[in-house]
Amino acid sequence: MRVSWFLKEAFISLRRNLVTSFAAITAVALCLFVLGVFGLFILEVGQIISSLESDVEVVAFLKDTATTQEINDLQHQIFNWPEIDKMKYVSKEEALRRFRKEHPDLTQEIGDVNPLPASFEIQLKDPHNVEKVAKRLEKVEVVEEVKYGKKYVRNLFKLTSTLRKIGLLFIILLLFVSVTLIAITIRLAIFARRQEVAIMRLVGASNWFIRLPFLLEGMIEGFAGSALASIVIYLLWIFFFPWIEKALPFLPFEMSYMLVFQIIFGLIVFGLTIGALGSTIALRRYLKV
Amino acid sequence: MILARNVTKFYPKHDKPALHNINLSISKGEFVFLVGPSGSGKTTFIRLLLREILPTSGEIEVAGIDVVRLRSWKIPYLRRNIGCVFQDFKLLPNKTVFENVAFALEVLGKPHKVIEAHVPEVLKLVGLEDKAEKFPHELSGGEQQRVSMARAIVNRPPLLLADEPTGNLDPSTSLEIMALFDRINRLGTTVLVATHDREMVDSMRKRVVALENGQIVRDQRRGVYGEG
Repeated sequence: MRVSWFLKEAFISLRRNLVTSFAAITAVALCLFVLGVFGLFILEVGQIISSLESDVEVVAFLKDTATTQEINDLQHQIFNWPEIDKMKYVSKEEALRRFRKEHPDLTQEIGDVNPLPASFEIQLKDPHNVEKVAKRLEKVEVVEEVKYGKKYVRNLFKLTSTLRKIGLLFIILLLFVSVTLIAITIRLAIFARRQEVAIMRLVGASNWFIRLPFLLEGMIEGFAGSALASIVIYLLWIFFFPWIEKALPFLPFEMSYMLVFQIIFGLIVFGLTIGALGSTIALRRYLKV
Repeated sequence: MILARNVTKFYPKHDKPALHNINLSISKGEFVFLVGPSGSGKTTFIRLLLREILPTSGEIEVAGIDVVRLRSWKIPYLRRNIGCVFQDFKLLPNKTVFENVAFALEVLGKPHKVIEAHVPEVLKLVGLEDKAEKFPHELSGGEQQRVSMARAIVNRPPLLLADEPTGNLDPSTSLEIMALFDRINRLGTTVLVATHDREMVDSMRKRVVALENGQIVRDQRRGVYGEG
C-alpha cells in the first residue's frame, strides 16, 4: 500500500497541529519519565533485596561427639535435600582459626581447649524456606543447635514483600495515569480534526484508511515522548549513579547497564503502545455510524 | 438507481415519524428535486440513502446495494457510489482546492497518475481550473460549493446527492450551481437535490417529489415547487 502517503499525512498533521502534538509528546514524556525513574528504583531495590535475601544462611552446629563417619553421612544426606543450594563444613579447627582472626584480644582466655563446635553453613536456593530447613535440621541426631537469625529473617521478608507490593501498586497507578492522559490528549487532537474524519467517511474511505494516519501520529507521539524520557533517564543515571553508590556504600548496589537498557526498552515499547492505544480509543467515537 | 419501499423512520423520543411509509423509485439518469418545508423529512431521507442512519422499517436500495442489510464494514463501498454536496460545503480549510478534490481519490487509494489526470478535468468541468492552488477561504461561497461538487463527482459515482446545496448562496449564484447540476446530470449521473428553494425548482422544470410531515404528497414530472 501507499505507506508514504500515510506517513506524509501523519507528519503534516503533526506539524499543523503543533500545539496539541507538543502537548501529547510532553504528556507522554513526563509520565514515562516518572514511570521510568520509579521502575529503575524498584528494580534497583529489588536487586538489593535479593542480594540481602541470599545472604540468609542456616548454620547447624554439630555435637562434639559426632564421628567423622557420621559427619560425612550427614553431609551427603543434607546435600540431597531439594532446598539446598550450597553447603560448607566448618571443622572445630577452622572455627577456632576464624575466631582468633576476628577477636585476637580474646584468644588468650580460651587457652588450649577448643570450645567451638564444628558446623555446617548452608545456603538455600530460596531463602524463604529457611525455617522449614532449620526445623528439619534440629531433628537430626548429631546436630546440637541450629541458628539462622529467626527474627531478622522474619522482619526482612516482611519488609521486602511490603516493598514489592507498594512498588507494584505505584507502577499500576502510574500506568493508568499515563494511558488516560495520553488518550485524552489524542482525543483532543482528533476532535480538532473531526471534520476531516467526517469527510473521509463521506467519500467512502475505509475505516482502516481513516485510522492509520491517526494511529501513526499517536505512535510517533508515543515514541517521541518515550525517547525523550529515556534520554533524560539515561543521562541522570550516568551522572548520579556513581554518586549514589559512593553515598550509600553499605548497600549492595550494582551499576548494571542491563537494567537501564531494560527500562529504556520497556519505555519505548510502552510509549508506542499507549500512542496506538490512545488514538484507537479516541477514534472509535468518530468512526461509529 | 434509488428504490424505497414502505420506508418509515422514527427517531428515538419522538412520537411522530420523520418519514412515514415512503415509496419512491428513481431511475438511472434522472434529475429529481426533493422539496418540502423544514422538518418534512428531506434530510432524513438523504441520510438513509447514505446509511448514516437505518430505517425503522422498510427497504432501501441504492445503486443495486441493499442499504438496510448492508454490513457496517461495507458502508464505505456504498458511499463510493454516491457523491455528496451539502449546504455548508464541508471543505478542508487547510488544503488547497486541488488537494480538497484530490483528497476524495487519495483516501480511496487511487494512484498518483489517476489523481493528476482526473482532478484538473473535474475542476475544468466546474469552472475552477484557474483556482486550483487557492485555499477555501480565498473563494466565494459559490466557488466553494463548486469545489465540493468537484469533490463529489471526481470519483465518477453514478449518483449525486445534494442537501440544500444553495442554502447559503444568493439567487444568481444558486442558478449557476443548478446549471452545473444539470450539466453533471447530462453527463449521465443521477442527481437528487433536496431543497426548499422555490425559484430554483420552478426554473428547472424537473421531476419534483414533495414531502410534507414525512409523507410524499406529490410526485410530478417537469413539476414546480407547489401551488401554495
